[in-house]
Amino acid sequence: MNEPERLTREIMAMIVTRDLFDGAIVNLGVGLPLECANFLSRDKEILLHSELGLLGFGPVVNDYRKADPYLTMVGGVPVTAHPGMSFMSHDESFALIRGGHIDVAVLGGLQVDQEGNLANTQLIGKPAGNLGGAQDLAYGAKKTVVLMYHTTSRKEKKILERCTLPLTTPRCVNRIVTDVAVIDVENQGLVLREVATGWNAEMVQSITGANLIIDPELKEIEL
Amino acid sequence: MIDKTIPSFDDAVEDIHDNAVIHFGGFVSPWNSPSYLVSALARQGAKNLTAISTSMGRGPDQAHLQTPWLPEHLTPTDFWDVGLLAKLGRIKKGIASFAVGHRHDLVYPFEERLSRGEVELELIGQGSLAERIRCARAGIPAFYTPVGPDTSVAEGKEVRYFNGKPHILETALHADYALIRAYQADRFGNLIYKGARTFNATMAGAATITIAEVDEIVPLGSLQPEHIHTPGAYVQRIIQRPKNPTLSWEESS
Repeated sequence: MNEPERLTREIMAMIVTRDLFDGAIVNLGVGLPLECANFLSRDKEILLHSELGLLGFGPVVNDYRKADPYLTMVGGVPVTAHPGMSFMSHDESFALIRGGHIDVAVLGGLQVDQEGNLANTQLIGKPAGNLGGAQDLAYGAKKTVVLMYHTTSRKEKKILERCTLPLTTPRCVNRIVTDVAVIDVENQGLVLREVATGWNAEMVQSITGANLIIDPELKEIEL
Repeated sequence: MIDKTIPSFDDAVEDIHDNAVIHFGGFVSPWNSPSYLVSALARQGAKNLTAISTSMGRGPDQAHLQTPWLPEHLTPTDFWDVGLLAKLGRIKKGIASFAVGHRHDLVYPFEERLSRGEVELELIGQGSLAERIRCARAGIPAFYTPVGPDTSVAEGKEVRYFNGKPHILETALHADYALIRAYQADRFGNLIYKGARTFNATMAGAATITIAEVDEIVPLGSLQPEHIHTPGAYVQRIIQRPKNPTLSWEESS
């Protein structure tokens, strides 16, 4: 049977931004999570935070002639100045994170398991991982959302009973947004809340390595 | 009279000895990295260094990849990071949050040496790294953090419970030298930064000798006291970047 179409990275990002509340302080990890910066609702004031010491910056600059090289976020990506923006040092920036002042951290993931354990730092075939700020963000943010493809490019399962890769942070994930589903990590396990158009609970379960509890109000993803 | 201005980058790093422990400031950008201090240290030749840096660096051959948004002719020619010293074999140990290229096709100099077992690595999350350095500046020998229990960074570290939750004991990271980058300085060593202050403001004062590479040295009194980010008491040496960028790390500045 052919698999129904999966969601694009843009739609995946929009699912995350759909649920951000007005006034939220949000940290976006590099890679896929950064896509969310392009889909922030104009009706809400969202403060974006970047580990190197930047809070409340505007959208990514696409025209280099308009870039201020002193104003970059993680990955050296130039961003726009925004009213109310503030700068800080790395230790202050992580005091903000560790101290629980970030409302939502959106992180990439290699594996997430049914206890909400996250593995996203070990690169296969490399002599070491890159921890970056993921441990602090996953621990410190009031809510940790993992934005990732449901399976690897080789169709391996990424949502598991137990992570097999080294853990970045234990028991930290609250929500998983993938290209086929929205899943919440609850005390009783993984609860399937929403599925992409054309998908049903059974199909999502078949590409998931842990048991999914089906929300009685399971719905199709709407933006 | 107090004047912390040093005449040349070569003079600024002259006394850095073999086996020194060094903080490298910035956050992998040509605009917040102490590039000229790094290149001067590369020319000076000190070896068996312990490098404390958020990233172990891209090195000279891949530095341009840090600014993919810039057209080639505008890519800075004077961006050098700790990867240059790793490439030259001067680093014995790295203490960092990022140790390897984030893609399989990106292999950085430190990573190459790590694969061959020539260097030692202590990998630590960025928040604990920053706080360990801040504590060194503030005279705190160690602290308990809730970040890291049940992960690789907890190995061999004391665990203690507060409010029913596990915390690990992390120790301060003091260095012999801190090489940092700021925007403006006065002769007292007062500093202001432009944009995010990154590890530069964190490392200032967390070493016996803090050396600040700045875009501009301004007359005493022209920095507003309310706007000074790093008080000069944390800084021992300041040096101004050249107006015209040099093209190679081998060229003195």
